[in-house]
Amino acid sequence: MKYKVDLHNHSCLSPCASLEMSPSVLVKRAIRKKIDILALTDHNTTKNLPAFAACCANNGITPVFGLEVNTFEEVHVVCLFEKLENAVSFGNYIESTLPAISNDPEVFGDQIIVDEYENILGSVDSLLFSSSSISFFELIPRVLDLGGLVIPAHIDRSRNGAVSQLGFLPDLAYSAVEARYVPCSYETYNNAVITGSDAHIRSSIGSRSFYITGEYKSDFSSLSHALREKNILYR
Amino acid sequence: MNSKLLTDTLKYSQIQLPESGTEITSGYTSDLLSDVMGNALENCALITIQGHKNTVAVASLIGIGAIILCNGRTAPEEMIEAAKEHDIAIYTTEDTQFTASWKLAKLLEHNGELELDLEMKQNI
Repeated sequence: MKYKVDLHNHSCLSPCASLEMSPSVLVKRAIRKKIDILALTDHNTTKNLPAFAACCANNGITPVFGLEVNTFEEVHVVCLFEKLENAVSFGNYIESTLPAISNDPEVFGDQIIVDEYENILGSVDSLLFSSSSISFFELIPRVLDLGGLVIPAHIDRSRNGAVSQLGFLPDLAYSAVEARYVPCSYETYNNAVITGSDAHIRSSIGSRSFYITGEYKSDFSSLSHALREKNILYR
Repeated sequence: MNSKLLTDTLKYSQIQLPESGTEITSGYTSDLLSDVMGNALENCALITIQGHKNTVAVASLIGIGAIILCNGRTAPEEMIEAAKEHDIAIYTTEDTQFTASWKLAKLLEHNGELELDLEMKQNI
């Protein structure tokens, strides 16, 4: 079996994402793009994951619950969990490590929490674009210890990637490494290399998905296994 | 100049220092290690807030003599171990990168023979 996977997507809660990017829009578009396994990964927060969970359940798409942590070195790392409650509890911890700087929506954009019907429930005050006080080197083992998947994001990008911030990707055991372009031009050691849409607007959803292939189901443990065994296709 | 002057003259705290100190002939200030790799010169002192072992790896590739960690940042044990292995000095200071750059430039300009009025310049 072959499943289409996209593990890096933002919603209207990320200040840099379009306001139209509700979890509902994300899920509906992902279905049109025939994505089987989908993650929502807002910057440093998990507060739109409950709506995302409901939308996925209503539409029969396999959810992966995540966030994109900005470490103190300003490296972006996608962190993913199987269970909503584990993701939310880790997300709340990460939010608590952000500096006490309020968002100015005029400058950075809105940070809107919604429900599955796109009703506005509130907004997050801390600037989610900031960096957490957790270091890249602390974050990687911590997420793995919690049973999550940890994936350095867009390592080949000129900002907020492991290579731009740290000089090169540290030789650690990751769940996978995300690159904008494959084959990746940087050393990735023995890690699986995946692509991710990093969608901030509707039209980017599904633009850089990847596939897992093998005797799999559309679920988290199949995804983990496929990444570990590098049973990955790019088209 | 010898990196020992960073402690002797600037009163920066020494975290790791090879016995005879290290040679410093210039400075480079950056928190993006890809930029450091592309532009820093051999025997420079790297002024940064990036306190982790990748900083040492980048420093060893270029031949950086000393890493000055600003804003009171400290070095984790694994960073210190790596610096020992590569004979790289590490210092920490409460100074910002701007102030540390200014002080280091003054020190280099006077070839280390300088008594900086640190009290007076504290607010820079």
